[in-house]
Amino acid sequence: MPYLSDLLNNKVWDSADDKVGYLEDVIVEPKPGEYVPLKYLAIRKHRKGHLIFVPYKYVENFTKEEVSLKTRLAKIPYLTSVDHNCIFLRQNVLDQQIVDISGARVVRVNDLRIGEFEGEMSVLGIDVSFKGILRRLGIEWLDFFGLAHVHFIDWRQAQPIHGTLKLDTVSKNLNRLHPADLANIIETLNVRHGSKLVTSMDSESAASVLQEVNPHLRKSLVKYLGPEEASQIVAKMSVEEIVDLAKSMHREDADLLLSSLKQRKLKDVERLIHYPNNTAGGLMMVNFMMLRPEWTVLHAVSEVKKKSSEFDSLVYAYVTDENGIFMGVVSMRNLLISSKDKTIKGIMKPVAKKTIIRVNEPIEEIVKTMTKYNLYMGAVLDEDNKMVGVISIDDIMRHLVPNA
Amino acid sequence: MIKLKEHLRKYWLKVVFFLGVVGPGIISANADNDAGGITTYSIVGAHFGTKMLWVLLIITFSLAVTQEMGVRLGLVTRQGLGGIIREHFGIRWTAFAMLLMLIANMGTITAEFAGVSASLSMVDVSKYWSVPLAALAVWLILYKGSFKTTQKIFLMFSAFYIVYIINGFIIGPDFGQAVKDMVTPTIEWTTPFLLTMIALIGTTITPWGQFFIQSYVVDKGLDVKHYRAEKGEVFLGAFITNIVSFFIIICTAATLYKHGIQITDAKDAAMALEPLAGRFAQFLFAFGLFSASMLGAFILPVATSYALCEAFGWDSGFDTNWERGKVFYAIILASIIIPAAIVLLPGISLIKIMILSQDVNGILLPFILIFVILLLNNKKLMGKHTNTVLGNILSWGTVLFIIAATVALVVTSILGINA
Repeated sequence: MPYLSDLLNNKVWDSADDKVGYLEDVIVEPKPGEYVPLKYLAIRKHRKGHLIFVPYKYVENFTKEEVSLKTRLAKIPYLTSVDHNCIFLRQNVLDQQIVDISGARVVRVNDLRIGEFEGEMSVLGIDVSFKGILRRLGIEWLDFFGLAHVHFIDWRQAQPIHGTLKLDTVSKNLNRLHPADLANIIETLNVRHGSKLVTSMDSESAASVLQEVNPHLRKSLVKYLGPEEASQIVAKMSVEEIVDLAKSMHREDADLLLSSLKQRKLKDVERLIHYPNNTAGGLMMVNFMMLRPEWTVLHAVSEVKKKSSEFDSLVYAYVTDENGIFMGVVSMRNLLISSKDKTIKGIMKPVAKKTIIRVNEPIEEIVKTMTKYNLYMGAVLDEDNKMVGVISIDDIMRHLVPNA
Repeated sequence: MIKLKEHLRKYWLKVVFFLGVVGPGIISANADNDAGGITTYSIVGAHFGTKMLWVLLIITFSLAVTQEMGVRLGLVTRQGLGGIIREHFGIRWTAFAMLLMLIANMGTITAEFAGVSASLSMVDVSKYWSVPLAALAVWLILYKGSFKTTQKIFLMFSAFYIVYIINGFIIGPDFGQAVKDMVTPTIEWTTPFLLTMIALIGTTITPWGQFFIQSYVVDKGLDVKHYRAEKGEVFLGAFITNIVSFFIIICTAATLYKHGIQITDAKDAAMALEPLAGRFAQFLFAFGLFSASMLGAFILPVATSYALCEAFGWDSGFDTNWERGKVFYAIILASIIIPAAIVLLPGISLIKIMILSQDVNGILLPFILIFVILLLNNKKLMGKHTNTVLGNILSWGTVLFIIAATVALVVTSILGINA
């Protein structure tokens, strides 16, 4: 099985042993998660001439020793251009960065392994090892102790970053990664490539990835995407994240970005945006499960079922009166084990004043309170005891360790 | 009392603010005045008086232009120089460029440790203590500490250079002669002159500076919108650093050169500060040389490792674990340990290390610059931000000038023209 680097620049012969030219590139048409057969050889007839593209089915030998065609060139219906679904292995893949999906990281392509798969010559593996570098440089003999090992990434697990791939191809492959891993990948790329990755995803996944990216880069990404693309993604982000983002941007840029939001979300955003970042108001989530004291457990459970999809996680429900004044909490466990006809007022736990978080409380205080009383969720109240949001230990962690 | 406190607070805020906006241009330019830099400028002044000031004037523009090119390349491509070279010139040229960079950087790091050793030997600390300890400190702070804070601290120390400017005015040198020498090119076709001249260029415009400024721009996430501000900052940085160089040269010219003293170790170079500091001159110089050396010793191993990892696709950054980032850490360790070990060789001349390493930088610089210039003229890559004609003239001019000087150096040393 040859490596691409063994084959490039080799002389290409036809069936009459006449030199056709030099192998300039190899072209494939990638499909997500599959080995792809070689489609054309790009051959340069003269040193400075144009490329011709010979369909792979006319290739007789394709080895390090010999690259040859089955017939005379004149009999081959070769092309002078290929359509844009195709990628050029040398130009678009070799020496470029790719996303290694199984390892969730970005690597550089040192070489490509070509071999037969189900009877067709295909790209099988991507060599990202030091050995590959030595081979490309023609100094493999340097490794006389055999210390360097070849390390391949399965072609099916790789995702070119530059390539002119169709968008659905990209997103299908990348969707197998956790948004946090994808975010890390984007952080290691430069903004240009990173934003390309972001745009290749549907706006929902893009939003969840963008939420995980560090705030500084997120700002640059959004700028780079431009208002139109960005506002579509931002629309799918949670209110808290939108607020964070808007705060980090210039006034006019932020307004432009927010202008396309739905009325309800926009109102929430505008309400939150005035709280400083390092206070409860700046950290909290405004969306929480709310119950009324007079409801029965049965009714409450059906409400929870209805609204459950709105929350990433759901541990507590909060009881407020008709004016939004905070009364107490009900844990999901409590809701599950209580008999169905009891009222919420009967099963709710009142909350000690000390464990309540005030909307303008600074983060240091919140950390103390939550640690001291072992809270992983805290209710946030304003001056009039109206409940305005919840803070989870996760929000705090994110603030304290922003780069994880 | 309260007022004083408030005053102090305001003052500190200003310092913090200043450090916050100090950008790549000023850091990179300032780090140019490292161990190799101070030594080279001192020798230029002490051995050749103000004769080489014209070179300094020209390379101020070259420095500004080449650094600006690095910034522009970073802003447009959002990639480090190592990565772009790999993607545009393929692996062989990358290996070539990276090898040159590695040699130049290793030389410079060796000069930094030589600087540490030379400065501390002025306060009677043996190099067998100072160098291993400095190497250990560099590694520990890089690995455990905060790179940014440390960088800022040493950057603040480099305000030391102001003493050269004050000193310059106290000596009251012949500014008229200095200005005259600045605009009248003189060249001596001798090995020492050419060697010193190439070192002067190589310490001011460096291969690593090219890599450093570009990755700095990329890391900060700046974009093309910031171009104008960055350009201004880079020009300012080039100007400031060479003002300092100018004063180092005229100070040593007015003291050492006048009395025919050749610099053979750091103590000699320190004498240039005596008009200002009297018997404290030695301490002052030792302090300045030490902090300048440490600044370089921090930045260079990391810059080297980042560039290599980017070009060859190894995981990098201090947030990667040992398993994934082993190459990254290995390169950093090697580029601390090997240079430190070289300095520890018994009987090696520290001054020679410091100046010859700058020659190596100077001789290798044109090759790195050629890559940069070619990339900046690539329309597909740079779009409307390709080089201007003036930029091309200055940068190609620099390249050709250094190559010509190197050829002349080879010729004079073969012919044995030493005076």
